[in-house]
Order: sequence, then structure tokens, then C-alpha cells
Amino acid sequence: MNALAAASLAIAGCSDLSGFGGDVPPLATVRVQVTGDLAGVTPPGAGNPDLRVALVWGAQWLTEPLCILPPDDASAAAMIAAGCRDAFGFVPDRTAVDAPLAADGTASLALFDLPAADVMVGSVTARVAYAGIVVYDDRDGDATLTMGRANRLGGRDMGGPPQDPGMQTADLVYAASFATMTEPDTRLAFREGGFDAAAAFYPRSGCGAPLPSFSLVSAGGFSAAAAIAAQLRGELPPEDPASCREQSTDAPVALAFRPPAELRELACVERATDSSVRYREPPADAPDLTARTAACVKVPDFGSGKAHGQIQLAISGRSDDSCAGLTHYVLRGCRNDALCDLPAWDITASPPSWWPCPAQAAQ
Amino acid sequence: MWRPAVLLVPWLALGLASPRAARADDGALLDSDALRYRSSGDLAIDAGLAVGLPAALPTGLAMGVAAGVASGRTLAWGARAAWVTATESSLPWTVTHSDLRLRVTGAIQTAPGRGIIGLRLGLGGTLVHESRVRNQGMRAGLTGSALETSALSMLPAADLDAVVALHIAGPWLLVTSGGPSVDRHDGALHAGWNAQLGVAWQP
Repeated sequence: MNALAAASLAIAGCSDLSGFGGDVPPLATVRVQVTGDLAGVTPPGAGNPDLRVALVWGAQWLTEPLCILPPDDASAAAMIAAGCRDAFGFVPDRTAVDAPLAADGTASLALFDLPAADVMVGSVTARVAYAGIVVYDDRDGDATLTMGRANRLGGRDMGGPPQDPGMQTADLVYAASFATMTEPDTRLAFREGGFDAAAAFYPRSGCGAPLPSFSLVSAGGFSAAAAIAAQLRGELPPEDPASCREQSTDAPVALAFRPPAELRELACVERATDSSVRYREPPADAPDLTARTAACVKVPDFGSGKAHGQIQLAISGRSDDSCAGLTHYVLRGCRNDALCDLPAWDITASPPSWWPCPAQAAQ
Repeated sequence: MWRPAVLLVPWLALGLASPRAARADDGALLDSDALRYRSSGDLAIDAGLAVGLPAALPTGLAMGVAAGVASGRTLAWGARAAWVTATESSLPWTVTHSDLRLRVTGAIQTAPGRGIIGLRLGLGGTLVHESRVRNQGMRAGLTGSALETSALSMLPAADLDAVVALHIAGPWLLVTSGGPSVDRHDGALHAGWNAQLGVAWQP
């Protein structure tokens, strides 16, 4: 009887063959559970939020020296506070997957692609990528987390970069699994091959290696002071081993709502990730400093004395910008180096009339 | 003069087919019997290379081997088998299909001179083994059915081939054939094509 049925099926051409069709299993699935009082953190006038969840691969990023060195005075401290992002914060590279947040605060993020090589850090035999999970209000309605970028003022027109208006984003981030290394975090890791524990890519020194392929890893965070002290010792800042966790992606990721002002940098990408600075020649006319914070500060030379007290004018972005950033003006220098031996411009003898800084710092 | 039905096999066998043809003889490159053929039987066995459209994949070129046996003269009957395989990829999948084509054949043919020309109809089934691998799944740590699946299915099928054979020497023939094919898959008919090239032995 079974043989007869099989023969009938064969004659009818029925088969279990799928070819290229059928459902495609995801490479990994991350489940998210969001808790907390959204109304309590929603800014006035934000309206009814359209909450979505995004998984964002992180960029390897180094802050520029001016943002990490101790400020010379209060004006410099104010400029750094207004124009520098958290030096230990998570810097997004690109969104991998996006899904709506259900009314019960849950979401499921299915990954159908591996992270590309440019978001992975390490050699081909031992590399890792980290992703954070963010909950955001999709205010621009494009169903994806729109990334912003800091705006910068222009320099004198000598073929150099014009004013870069940056990119504003309307989306507001309300929760994040990985905001900064100075707080407890949970991140999605993709590890391929071995794991280089000495790598300083969002380090979790003292914690175990991420599991092979996809896994969720957690750490308790470290203080900025501990990180700087460890750096001076030539070490990575240590995590409390008791706060470390490495587990499969089966476990849900718990997030809590927070005020968007605390998380705005999670929707900001960076132009340069290697701590390099773009210097500009001051324009003849005064730039519009409305809602910006400016300070005259020394060009960092890390104690080499090469700067000879050269001063730069550092100006933050506008206070209502989506993303923090700095514009650097110097009277003498090159685009990528204010201390270059053969300057592309030198107007120290005739600075523009609006120039507020001394040509050289007092020795 | 009528000749039996025949089919395919590799070019390589041609060199083995007529050892006398390669033997030098007193200054003559070939003796008078070198290319003489003989064919008195009704039976022909052939083998060769086969290519064609995969039975159940919408794209790709399946390649493999085929063999067959036939008996008869103007009207001949026989059986054929071919095994061909094709591997193709989409964004999420790498799919390998291995087709075992089993046919009962009937042919009508004629033999002008050293050649044989015929039309062969094959009816039967194609046993398809499918192996699907999720692309990047191994790197992502997938295991089991999330990484790889396989399936086996028998599809009713038919071929119509034009067959051309040429007596080379002795009992050996060079054979080529090709034509459309059809199989029934997922409740619908799917058209394809097959081609074969080989040698035949006709005692």
C-alpha cells in the first residue's frame, strides 16, 4: 500500500525538493525585552513614539587627542563637553537589522547576513565584531535607524574642505544594550577563529572570550579614571570578572528605557575613526558661532614641545545638532597636521580681524 | 543497410578502439583494413558524457555520465541510465542536485553508409537527490537542518533525442545525441534538454 502511494506521488511529480525556495533560516536570532516607563523619559513634544529595535555593528574608533587630554581652563572644558562624544562610548558603524517593537516590549531580530569584514577587528584567523541593540523612535518614518553626523564649519576657500553641514537625524534612541564601556553592557559578538584578548576593540579584559560565531557577552564596565590609569600602565582596563557573561543568543537581551539625551550619540557615525584631526585655515569672515561653544586651546603635542605653544580655535557644533563634533582652526598648518614642517597656510602675521586667540600661548 | 541503435561514450575511448589503426606497416600509415568496420549484431552498448538542464533546478548545467543498451534495427528498444550533477547558488543557499535518469527507450533509425541516424524516445523517471547548504551557516555556527538539508524525489520524465552514430572501426562507433526533455515537478511540467557524446560497441 505504501509502495502504491509512493508510486502515485512519483507519477504526480510530488516531491520534497526545495531548490532555492522555501524559508531561509536566519544565521542568528536575538530576542529583546524592553522594560521601564517610556512616558517618564519621553521629551516634551516628542509625540506618540513609533518604537523600533535595531542591531548596530560597532566601529573601531579613537577619539581625537583634544577630547581626552585634561582641559587647560574652564572654557576648554566647556568646549570639550559640548563638542566631544564619550571617549569610551559605543560608536555605531551601520545597522544590520531592524524590527518593530511589539506592544509587550518584545522584539526579535533575525540576522540573515554575517558582519562584513570591515566591521570585524583582528586577523582572518582571530577576529571579532560587536553590535549593540538600540530601541529608538523612528521619527522620520523610514523604518531604520537614521544615523547623524556632526556638522563642521568651513575654512578659507583654498581648495580645502567647505563647510560640512553634517547630517541631522530625527530618530531618538530610548534604550541601548551597549552605550558606553563605563557602564554595564550587553553586546552581540561575532567571533571567527581565535580571540585576541589583548585587542583593544571595546575591551572586556578579565572576561572570557566570546563564544565562537554569534554570542551575547556582558561586562560590568570600568571607570574612565581606571581606563586612563590602565592605559598609562600599558594595559587594558580590567572588568570585574563577576560581572562578565558569555552566553548563546538564546537568552533574551533586557533593555530599559532611558532619556534620549543620554543616548543621542548612538545614532551618530564618525567621519574619521583613527583619532586624526582635520584642521582648517580661518576664513576671512567670522564664522557663525550662534549656539556653539568655542575655546582657544593649545595644539596637542603630547609634551614633545613641537607645538611651541601654537594655539588653535576649537568650536563645537550647535547645541541643537544631533551629533557632537569639533571644528579646528589654526593660523598655520596643514589639513591633517597643525604642526607640519611645510605648512599649507601661515597667516600668523596677519590673522583675520575676528580671530579671538593669541598667535601663540604664553610660555 | 540497417544498423542497430546506439549511444554515447568518451572521445578517449576512440584511441583504444582501433589499436591496429595506430600501427605503422611498411611505410604505409594505415593498412587497408584499418578503417573497415563490421557490424552484424542487433545489440549495441554505449557510454559517454552527458550534459543537460538539471531536472528540478531552474538554472545551471548538469554534467555527468550516461550509458545505455539497445537492441534492434529499424525499430530498436533498450534502456538507458545517466547520472548528472549540478551545483548552483543563490544568496542564502548552495544547492546540489544529483539526477539519476532511468529510461526505457524506443527508437526508429536508419543507416546511410557508415552512419546511423535515429530518433529515440525515452520514458521513465529521474531520481533527484538534493543537498542544500545554508550559505555562511558554518561560519555562523549553524548545525543540523538549519545548516544543511537533503531530500530525495522521483520525478516522472521523458526524453526525445536525435541520435547520430558513425562507425569508426571494427565494432566501435562514435555516438552523439541530444534533444528536449520534460519532467513533472511540483505538479507542473518542466522542460529541459539533454546532450550526450560517447562511443558505442556493436559486436
